[in-house]
Amino acid sequence: MAKKDIISLIRENVIQGRVAQDDEGLDGGMVGEPGVTELIEKALAKRLDVRDIINKGLTEAMNLVGQKFEQKEYYIPDMLASAEAVGVAMKLLEPYLAQSGIKPKGKVLLATVKGDLHDIGKNIVTILLRGAGYTVKDLGNDMEPQSIVNAVRAEKPQFLGLSALLTSTMVNMRDTIQALEESGLRDKVKVIIGGAPVSEEYAKSIGADGYGSDGFQALAVIESLSST
Amino acid sequence: MIRKGLAGGSYQPLTEESIAKIDQAVMAVVEEVGFEINSEKALQLFEKAGARVGREERRVRLSQAKARELIGMAPPEVRLCGQEEKHDVLLGGNRVYAGTGGTALYIYEPAGKQKRPATLEDLKRIARLVNRLDNIHLFMLPTYPNELPIEQVDANRFFAGLDNTTKHIMGGVYTLGGIKQVLRIAEIVAGSAEELVKRPLISMIGCSISPLKMDANYGDLVVEIAQRGIPLVCPAEPLCGATSPVTLAGNLVIQTADSLMGVMLTQIVKPGTPVIFGSVATNTDLRNLNYLAGSVEMGLLNAAGAQMAQFYHLPFYATGGMTDSKVLDAQSGYESAISSLLCALAGANFIHDAAGMMEFALTACYEKFVIDNEILGMVMRAVDGIKVNDDTLAFDLIKEVGPGGNFVAAKHTRRFMRREHYQPTLSDRNGREEWEAKGGKAIWQKAGEKVRRLIAEPKYHLPAEVRQQILSEIKGIVD
Repeated sequence: MAKKDIISLIRENVIQGRVAQDDEGLDGGMVGEPGVTELIEKALAKRLDVRDIINKGLTEAMNLVGQKFEQKEYYIPDMLASAEAVGVAMKLLEPYLAQSGIKPKGKVLLATVKGDLHDIGKNIVTILLRGAGYTVKDLGNDMEPQSIVNAVRAEKPQFLGLSALLTSTMVNMRDTIQALEESGLRDKVKVIIGGAPVSEEYAKSIGADGYGSDGFQALAVIESLSST
Repeated sequence: MIRKGLAGGSYQPLTEESIAKIDQAVMAVVEEVGFEINSEKALQLFEKAGARVGREERRVRLSQAKARELIGMAPPEVRLCGQEEKHDVLLGGNRVYAGTGGTALYIYEPAGKQKRPATLEDLKRIARLVNRLDNIHLFMLPTYPNELPIEQVDANRFFAGLDNTTKHIMGGVYTLGGIKQVLRIAEIVAGSAEELVKRPLISMIGCSISPLKMDANYGDLVVEIAQRGIPLVCPAEPLCGATSPVTLAGNLVIQTADSLMGVMLTQIVKPGTPVIFGSVATNTDLRNLNYLAGSVEMGLLNAAGAQMAQFYHLPFYATGGMTDSKVLDAQSGYESAISSLLCALAGANFIHDAAGMMEFALTACYEKFVIDNEILGMVMRAVDGIKVNDDTLAFDLIKEVGPGGNFVAAKHTRRFMRREHYQPTLSDRNGREEWEAKGGKAIWQKAGEKVRRLIAEPKYHLPAEVRQQILSEIKGIVD
């Protein structure tokens, strides 16, 4: 199979949201055909340029998926399937990034704060960030400020994302940021927050670095903070 | 004439076979998947009652036989009382009542097309308004007083309700301390703790987290309220494609299992304690994951929920009558009407959120309470159906009037016209000239005039000595 073919197949399969060969794909009926996992493995075996795989395969496909979402052809579950496929691809490509001269995009820790068990929003952000090439560690929900601080100390992420759904638990975002300050870690990590009750204004008031009104905003905010 | 508590059930979206299949799936979930219970108290109670408990995952699984035994202990009917007996409702069977719902953070003002944070004063004024709207049978506390600290919210909300309407007060609760204050206030109004259990003037809500999860705070609340014997609603709010399968049948499995989890817990705490099976089931917009309050699927899910409640012989709390519109436009009217009508025709016992709510249930609107009162009047008329007997067939009259005659002057017409035909309280049915002569007003403008008129009328307040006792005993009530 020629080089161009595998890359265009990767692109098509990201658009179909097929992680592996047992996925039926958005249009259906594709079970058994190689998915993104198998195609990336094949591309690596054939020693294709990792930069081409990422730029012409994955990134180009996600740009098209983004357009389809904008045009209301794609729903959120479609977008998530594509992002998940890219996330899996990036994981497979990770060991080859350095030798190809590609700078990793950075590490993000995510947590739903203390007292709150709602984690759908955080889980969506996890998939979208992985799909954009970030390394994401999901700490889970109901996380004590001190546990989050310990994780920041151990993992040394560039970003920390905090989530809450309840008005009664959003105050624990402030406590978490204070705990970071008290442990001298506040300037080591950029903190962004999200969740139904919080706002840009609230983010500013508790000293967060950014606010994402939804998963896509969260990604956009992290991308813009990355470039500063 | 006020229509309430009439028998619904003519609309049945589920066949008997579908109901049996949903029940089997629910029992399989209870037995094989189980619930994650994050309240230590609730977990211990389930364990003592014979559930299999996985301590590490906090997972509770019950055998089908045990589940059915617990569900069977719950009373099939629950009486919710008003301060005036004429406002009592008996939830159960397929009797239909409608009421307000909650809890909105904002008030929409149609004149300026703007919304603002709701205050305690809004809650008092809405209570006064609803006290005068006959097709709203129960008063669930619809708004959140944004200016108060959370510790004062519960007592102030319930006091605002009890002090401004004689209809039954139901409400969500936020803190354990708040619940205790609310129960004390209600005891003072009822006369004693025993009297309050005999005639519950208030009821509360303890929500699970779909799918199949109960958080620590609400678990403790459910246990506390059940111990006191105060009626409690245990609703579940699965959202298609987000917190439940995207299919309506899959959503019904989660909704039923989640609500039954609360029902079973109350019966472990105190067998026979009054509990209401509940649904806030709906779908989400899978383009942005927005919760939807005005979808036709919400109507279908809650109508089907009524059938499931009837199957388990439990009283039912449904959700219907809201809109996602941001203004009082055609969308706000048709969305509210469709889901209210579906729930009512299915025989949902208490359709909550049926008045005043818009914009994903985040916003309440004075004018909309009045508009929805009209919708509910028409909905209840539909539930009433068509009575067929010798009197209504009117063969003798037809014979008497004969070909080419008319019925305007017939006694029969006068005898039946008010009963047979809904008398609008707001809708415009004039010809164009007359409508124009009266100012050519839109419905929200007419509703606004009615709001101002009803709020200005003499107010209800608790008896002076009762008020005094509450205010001196419970700290933090803003009078």
